[in-house]
This record gives sequence, C-alpha cells and structure tokens, in this order.
Amino acid sequence: MRSNPLATASLLALAIALAGCGEDKAPATQAAAPAVSSESAAPATTGTLDQAAAQAVVKHYADLALAVFSDAASTGKTLQSAIDALLANPSEDTLQAAKQAWLAARVPYMQTEVFRFGNAVVDDWEGQLNAWPLDEGLIDYVASDYQHALGNPGAQANIIANAAIQIGEDQLDASTITPELLASLNELGGSEANVATGYHAIEFLLWGQDLNGTEPGAGERPYTDYLIGEGATGGHNERRRAYLQAATALLVSDLDSMVEQWQDSVEGNYRSELLADSAENGLRKMLFGMGSLSLGELAGERMKVALEANSTEDEHDCFSDNTHNSHFYNGKGIRNVYLGEYRKVDGSTLSGPSLSQLVAKVDAAADSSLQSDLAASEGKLQVLVDSANSGQHFDQLIAADNAAGQQLVRDAIAALVKQTAGIEQAAAKLGISDLNPDTADHSF
Amino acid sequence: MLRKPLIAALLGLALAGCDQSPPEARISAALADSVVLPAYRSWLLSNQQLASSAAAFCAGESALPAARQAFLSAQSAWAGLQPLMVGPLAEGNRAWQVQFWPDKKNLVRRQVEALLSSKPQLNQADVENASVVVQGLSAYEYLLFDPALDLRQAEQKARYCPLLKAIGNHQQALGQEVLDQWQAEQGMASQLKRFPNARYADANEAIAELLRAHISALDGLKKKLGAPMGRQSKGHPQPYQAEAWRSAASLANLAAALASAERLWQGHNGDGLKALLGRDQAELAGRIDAAYLDTRQRLAALERPLGELLGEPTGLARLNELYASLDQLHRLQESELAKALGVQIGFNAHDGD
Repeated sequence: MRSNPLATASLLALAIALAGCGEDKAPATQAAAPAVSSESAAPATTGTLDQAAAQAVVKHYADLALAVFSDAASTGKTLQSAIDALLANPSEDTLQAAKQAWLAARVPYMQTEVFRFGNAVVDDWEGQLNAWPLDEGLIDYVASDYQHALGNPGAQANIIANAAIQIGEDQLDASTITPELLASLNELGGSEANVATGYHAIEFLLWGQDLNGTEPGAGERPYTDYLIGEGATGGHNERRRAYLQAATALLVSDLDSMVEQWQDSVEGNYRSELLADSAENGLRKMLFGMGSLSLGELAGERMKVALEANSTEDEHDCFSDNTHNSHFYNGKGIRNVYLGEYRKVDGSTLSGPSLSQLVAKVDAAADSSLQSDLAASEGKLQVLVDSANSGQHFDQLIAADNAAGQQLVRDAIAALVKQTAGIEQAAAKLGISDLNPDTADHSF
Repeated sequence: MLRKPLIAALLGLALAGCDQSPPEARISAALADSVVLPAYRSWLLSNQQLASSAAAFCAGESALPAARQAFLSAQSAWAGLQPLMVGPLAEGNRAWQVQFWPDKKNLVRRQVEALLSSKPQLNQADVENASVVVQGLSAYEYLLFDPALDLRQAEQKARYCPLLKAIGNHQQALGQEVLDQWQAEQGMASQLKRFPNARYADANEAIAELLRAHISALDGLKKKLGAPMGRQSKGHPQPYQAEAWRSAASLANLAAALASAERLWQGHNGDGLKALLGRDQAELAGRIDAAYLDTRQRLAALERPLGELLGEPTGLARLNELYASLDQLHRLQESELAKALGVQIGFNAHDGD
C-alpha cells in the first residue's frame, strides 16, 4: 500500500477528537489539516516555502530542460549524418553506424520525457517524435502474420510502396515524400497507431520488425533495403530512402524547435511563460512530471502492461530491443529533476538549486528518504540493463514462462511505485496539495 | 407510532455524540459493511453463476443467450467494484486477471487464438499459467460476442469451450480468494473497522484510501468514455478502443460503476463519505449531489449503445455533454472534496497517456 503523508497529522487529529468528545462536532480531519475552500495550498505549509529559493529551483529546472533538449537535438543531428552516410553508401557498416547513432540519440531524449507531463508545450509536441505503439504496416512491408489495431484504416497503407494511399473513401497523394507529408499522415484516419514520424518510425526503418516474439533477437532489416539496382531488396527502395531521410529531417527540426522554447531571453517562448508564473505552479509541474512518468507512464503503461499481458507488442523500443535503456533513462530523468543535476552528452555535469534542497529545508528525513528511493529504482532499472547486456532483453524477461525474468521487471515496478509515494510526500512537505496541473485547455 | 423513529434517532445522536470513535472510524466501518463488502459478495455470486453457465452451455444444457446474460451480469458486478478497488483485488495482478483494457492492438484475439493453437487439449492449468489476457472477462467476451465467432456451431464450440469453462472457473476461484481475504479475521473488512491495524494507523488513513480509490475510478471512467470518443486521437471516434465494445455494454458498465461511486458517497444509510463534511460544507455536499444527479440523468437518457452514438454527430454531441458532466463530477471530488477532507490525492495509474 501507499504510504500516507498525512499519517502524522491524522494521529494528531485523532487525539484532538478524543479529547473533545461530546463538544466537538466538527469532523476530526478539519482540526488537523485545515479545510481549504479556496484554490490556494494549505496555509500552514505555504508559509514555510522560501519564495526566492523556489523561484531559483524553477529557473534551474528550465536550464536543465534546455540542456537535455539541446543534447537531444545535437544527437539527432549526429543521427542525421549517420543516415546520410548510410544512404550515400548502403553497407553493413553504415547501417550499423546509423543504428548506433539512433541508440545514442535515445539517451538524452528519454531524459527529456520527465518534462513532458506538466508542461503542455512538450506534451502537445512529443506525439510527432515518440508516439508508440505503432502499426508499422502504415510505413513499409510487414510479415504476413502482422497484427494491428482493430478498425485502423491505415494499418496496411504501406506508404513506401504506394504513391497514392487509399483510406476509406479518401485517396491521398503521397507521390513526393517530404517531412510535411509525413507529419500530415500521422494519426491518419484518426488512429493513434498510425505513427508515420519520429524515433520509432526511424527505428522501424533501421531495424525492421522484430519477429522473434519473446525469443532472443531484434529486427533484422538488411542494408540492401536501401540499395538501388543490383542486390536491392524490399522493393520501392527510392521511396524507402526518401522516407528515412524525410523522417529524420523532421525529427531534427522538431528537436530544434523545442530547444527554442527553453532558451533564455526569447520573448514569448515557454521558458518566459514558466518563469513568469508563480513558483508554486512551477514546483507543481516539476513534481507532476516526476510522479506521472514514474507511476502511470513508466511503471504502468510501459512496464506493467507488457509484463502482465506477456506482450511484446507493448514493449517500448520493440524493433531495436533497446527498451531497457529507454526505461533506465526515463528513470534517470526523474532523478535529474529532483537532484537538479544532468550529466550532459559531453560528459560535463550541470547542477544547481534543486527540489531536493527545498525539501531538505522543510524536512531532511523526507528528502533523504526520496533520495534513497530514487537511487533504489535506478538500481532496479540497471538490473534490466545488465540483463540485456548479458543477452536477456526486456522482451524475453516478460515471457509467460520466465518467472525469474518477470521478477526483475516486477522489482523495478515496485521501486518506481515506492518512489512515487516519496514524490507525493515531498510535494506535501512543500505544501503542494493539488498535484494535477490540468487546465481547461490541456489535460495530461 | 411516529415517535419511535424519532426517539431512536435522538438516541442515536446522543450515542454518536459521546462515541469514543471519531466519525472517520464510524463511516469507514459503515461503508465496509453496507457498501463495499456487499459489492464483493455479489461479484463472487455472479462469478459462480458465470462458471455454472459456461458448464451448462458447453454441455448443451443451455443456449447462447443465457450464457451471454451470465457474462453481462458478471461484467456489471465487476464494473461496480471499480470505485471500491481497495485491498486484495487492487494488489498484485488480480484486477488484470479480470479485465484487460485498453486493448490497443487486439491482444485478446491474438492471445486467445495463439493459446488454442498451441494447446488444442487445453486444461485449467494451461490457463492458470497463461497471460492474464486470456484469464478474464475480456477473453470471455471475445468468445461469446466477437463478430467472427459463433459458438452455436459445433466445431467452434469444441474449439473454444475448454477456454470458456476455464475462464469461468478462474473467475470463480478469484472471487472466492478475494472475498476470503476480505472476511478473514484480520482481513480487509476488519482493517476498515478496527484501528490501528497492519494496514492503517487510524481511520483517517482508511478514509483517505477509500477516497483515493473512488476518485481514481472516476478518472478511469473518464478514460473509458474518452478513448472511444477520440479524445486522445484528434477527435476521431475509436469504437474498438471502447471497453466492452463486443458486448455493447460500455455504457452499462459506466452506469454500474457510477452507481457504486454514488453509494460510497451517500452511504447505505446516510453514512457515506458525505457524512464527513461538516455543516459549514453543506454547500459543497449539495454541489456534489447535483453533479451525481446530472451525470446519472445524462447517462440514462442516452438509451442506445455507445457504438451507435459514436457513429453520428448528434450522438457524439450528447456523449461530449456526458463527458463534461463526468469531468465536473470527478474534479469536484478530486480537488474540493479531497481538500475539505484533508486528503492528498497524489498520483494514480491513469496519469500519463
């Protein structure tokens, strides 16, 4: 069960209620945690929050976001160069190099995801980059036993093979593959499984379908799918090459546009909006991002569903079998935000005013407890990485008959759940009672 | 004659006035006995009927409509447990063993067919060792309602009946296991009534958890309604992303869950969560009452299955109004009620996309 941050207050309330027997008709909880009818946080705790310190923490959070998104953008450009090299001279080596560049680009990107929940500007933008799971038959050829989302009219559209795409009664012109065309084909026919762009579309174009189920092995697309003329495989290779190039160009420009949102002194960008808002709202977004990614998204959507259903279809980086790293760096991102630290791609470390310091000022024990929860979950996610590195990947761990493997995933989930309770407790210490930053315009 | 209830009521007040237990303890105990435990009992009962219905259908002793009716009852009882998801059923993967939703890529069909192809002589143990996707009501619904199947045909009946019976048995055993854990000496019911205990330091913790489960369920109902309406997919309706689309029971499930949430709020006898609000919070209580009424009436007025409503603009507009009403009901309790009761809501499994 979850720990209850209000347990101490509740004990006090109980004492008051007992003492007041026969006189006090008010519910006991009112005595302990003063009922708040306005939208503000509980008065007792707001007073303890050092506004200037909180502002500094939010500002450093924006710096952190800038650093992580900048790394995502620069590694995206490295990926683009590697893909250019692959297309210039398709070979086993250039395909391998492109795959390595994709894997490296995922490292900072997965650490950006903690900024997604809580910041609508990121949440609205990310679908074009990281939507998942996808019906890859939209993009290219697939195996005959390919299964897709029910009722998805674009599940077998195969854009690469078709210059004109039939969706229900509509015919779409796809004769020239450009970044704009691909962006417009995303969620074609309204199905969110129609993912034409982003990391996973590129991943599919580099690796191909993983047809091994819960057995060892990832996708095995041959480099010859990118050859023209003799030795070419796959078919429609000019269009496949154009697709890969366009999808990568779109990724790079999308990443650049998000960097601009977090740059200092850019009038009207998201950073200036965030810093102009109250520090309390900034802290709420930080904590909401950490908790939502930790519980609902990572532990739930990305791990628990795949685990309980023994479903490789619900594996995050399913073509490349890079899921362990994606999970690990998601977790790292949560820890980064709490500690105010980020280890950049160039090896240097950015650090500054942190949530951890703010919490420690109010309650040192709550801070050290959350710090150890974050370290513990990183340890459990590291176990998944180690397992993959020694040959057993996430899609093997979740097999129905792999009890020991399942336990590793279960342990990581449990650590993330525990850490989420710690995040709730830290929020309560800072007087952030309502953690949901939903607005009328955006619901996370 | 008229005096008797009055005297009883006054006596009740007097006793309550000097009762050593705080109101939280009384409300928690009352909810356990008169709302939560009865819901778990009727779930088990409907699971028992599900198991015997599967056996009867497969033995040729009853027809498909009766088997479908037993399924709908079990599914409705399960839906009613959503706001009461505390204790054993909320732990481990037990809830997953009952239902797999959302099913974005039709895993139910894929896993059922894969299992039956690899184990044509399916036995109970095969199902117990298989994925949760094939153990529960979602797979059962596939067998009885999928447009591509027809279990009235002898050949199909032979192929699918072993799984149908095994799921019925699994659900019955699961219902029994959960109810046993509720009714055990130091079980869940006892933990909602006597404090402190291994689970709760005091009644406030118990109330906080009941409230969190209640609010999380309302959030979940928004997801279940919003997904097929296309709220996460640029407004394009996604009928196959609905819960229970095969049995056309999506809105019936919603109604069952909502009714159960309202019972937790009102209590069986005026002793629900509402009773924890003081006299000075009567205005908030009134608004929440009105919100329940509004959502309930809008839902009742729809009268047609979700799949049909999604297919036409007027239907979609009415669903949007229902969604807005449900959203209001959820937010009132997530923010104002939680604050009034001094409960931090925190994160739930529905956060994220």
